[in-house]
Amino acid sequence: MLKLIHGEFFRVLHKKNIYIYFISLAVASFLLALSRSGRFNTYSIVKDAINLFYFMPPLAGGFLFSAIYTDDLNSKNLITLVGFGISKTKIVVAKLLLFVLFGSFIFALVPLYHCAVYAILGQVATADMMATIYAALFKFFLITIAFASLSGIAVYSLQRATFAIVLYILLTFNVISGLLKVAFNTVAPNLASCLISGITDKLLAGIKGGGAIALPIFEYVIYVAITVVLSVVVFHKKEMEF
Amino acid sequence: MAQTVMQTHGLTKKYGEFHALNAVSLTLNQGDVYGLVGRNGAGKTTFFKCVMGLARTTAGTIEIGGEKANLSAARRKMGFMINPSFFPYLNPRESLKYLCQIKGFRDKGEVERLLKLVELDGVSKTFKAFSLGMKQRLGIAGALLGSPSIVVLDEPINGLDPQGIIDMREVIKNIHTQSGTTFIISSHILSELDLVATRFGFIEQGVLIKEITHEDLHEHTKKSLFMEVDDIPKAIAVLNAIGIKDVSVNGNRLALESHLNQSNQIARALINGGVELYDLHRQETTLEEYFMRLIGGGQNA
Repeated sequence: MLKLIHGEFFRVLHKKNIYIYFISLAVASFLLALSRSGRFNTYSIVKDAINLFYFMPPLAGGFLFSAIYTDDLNSKNLITLVGFGISKTKIVVAKLLLFVLFGSFIFALVPLYHCAVYAILGQVATADMMATIYAALFKFFLITIAFASLSGIAVYSLQRATFAIVLYILLTFNVISGLLKVAFNTVAPNLASCLISGITDKLLAGIKGGGAIALPIFEYVIYVAITVVLSVVVFHKKEMEF
Repeated sequence: MAQTVMQTHGLTKKYGEFHALNAVSLTLNQGDVYGLVGRNGAGKTTFFKCVMGLARTTAGTIEIGGEKANLSAARRKMGFMINPSFFPYLNPRESLKYLCQIKGFRDKGEVERLLKLVELDGVSKTFKAFSLGMKQRLGIAGALLGSPSIVVLDEPINGLDPQGIIDMREVIKNIHTQSGTTFIISSHILSELDLVATRFGFIEQGVLIKEITHEDLHEHTKKSLFMEVDDIPKAIAVLNAIGIKDVSVNGNRLALESHLNQSNQIARALINGGVELYDLHRQETTLEEYFMRLIGGGQNA
């Protein structure tokens, strides 16, 4: 599996669009901060960061999802991997690990970049502010990983890139969770707490308030594990699409 | 006796009620260049998909390198090219390096060697800008990466220009001669496979209808001299008298597979011997004709 992760790392890092895309996002966020700099107050750095982070799962995660998962479908690389005798379970797990690795790197850099931009514009973050920013970002990072893993089921079962990306985007913009809440409002009024956003909210509240975090962590791990198992099962059942 | 490196027994693949493969039992021996010949849709690619684990088999077994249970491990020692596909943003060097990494072996000049072999060593553009021929070449380089003992190539000359076809043939021949690599190559162009293959398997509607060696194939397709005469026994006697013994008879026609350039003397001897000679012509069964006869007519192979 390490060989696969190593190769995939090499491949993603050689995708030039990834640099262009993230540099464009960085420039856009800088311009946004610049346009708001005349109206800064003490908490702008934190509030703006949290507002910015809402777009991290679809914008940063979406691009990563396409680079790591759906590029394989577009270029029929899953056929190459399976034909070379790499087990489907290893492929599913390696892809998720790769997503976590790249996601960790980008999500760790974003607050640093955000604070650096605001420092240039005259707003310096305190240690408390940084902690709040990182805690908020952590929630969105977990959401991104979980939604990528969930959308992975579509990647392996349907082997259609467009469908998988649309599913991922709908998940990250809370369209699907919103529909579920409406649909099951009367039957399961507490459904929201069982969905990934609810689980990560509980986890974030626990971290901030010093409360219990074991249960939400357990729920989160189970959630991701179920999506991985389902991905493996559907991948084994599905014939390779040529 | 040659060692068997791959074998299928009753390999069957059904899509609904349609038999894409129907009880295909094929044996690949060490050092074979096996040409799998069939029309479009005959089942060649499906056979390869099953062998490479890309499609589930409905029935039958596959054995690679004596391994039946853990085919994934056996497949790691194989190279294959079915519809060459690489990431559009990688150049040929990066594409092969990627394959090196996922296969888990160090490059050590292998990438450069293969790029040179398929004449892509000077190419820096990315895969998305490749012509079909270049894609085929890179696909073949990918299949040969790591010097696998068995190489599966599905329609490797598709999209290649005439020079490219010659080059590809030379590449396969050289690798086969130098390292004894076993190849199984599919094509619907029998005459092209004829130049590299040592054995052939003919597949039609999912059924492997015949396996034949290169020598036997040429036995079936060599030139003959056909004569139509009024009196067969008399004609045979005349021919025997001038030293021609290997005459075969088909109705009122005689066929000779030797003395092909003595048609003038043969005609004179028959007429002088009192035999009415209605027709005399030289004819060769082409590989395509042989193939079409084998599959029972239809479209061109």
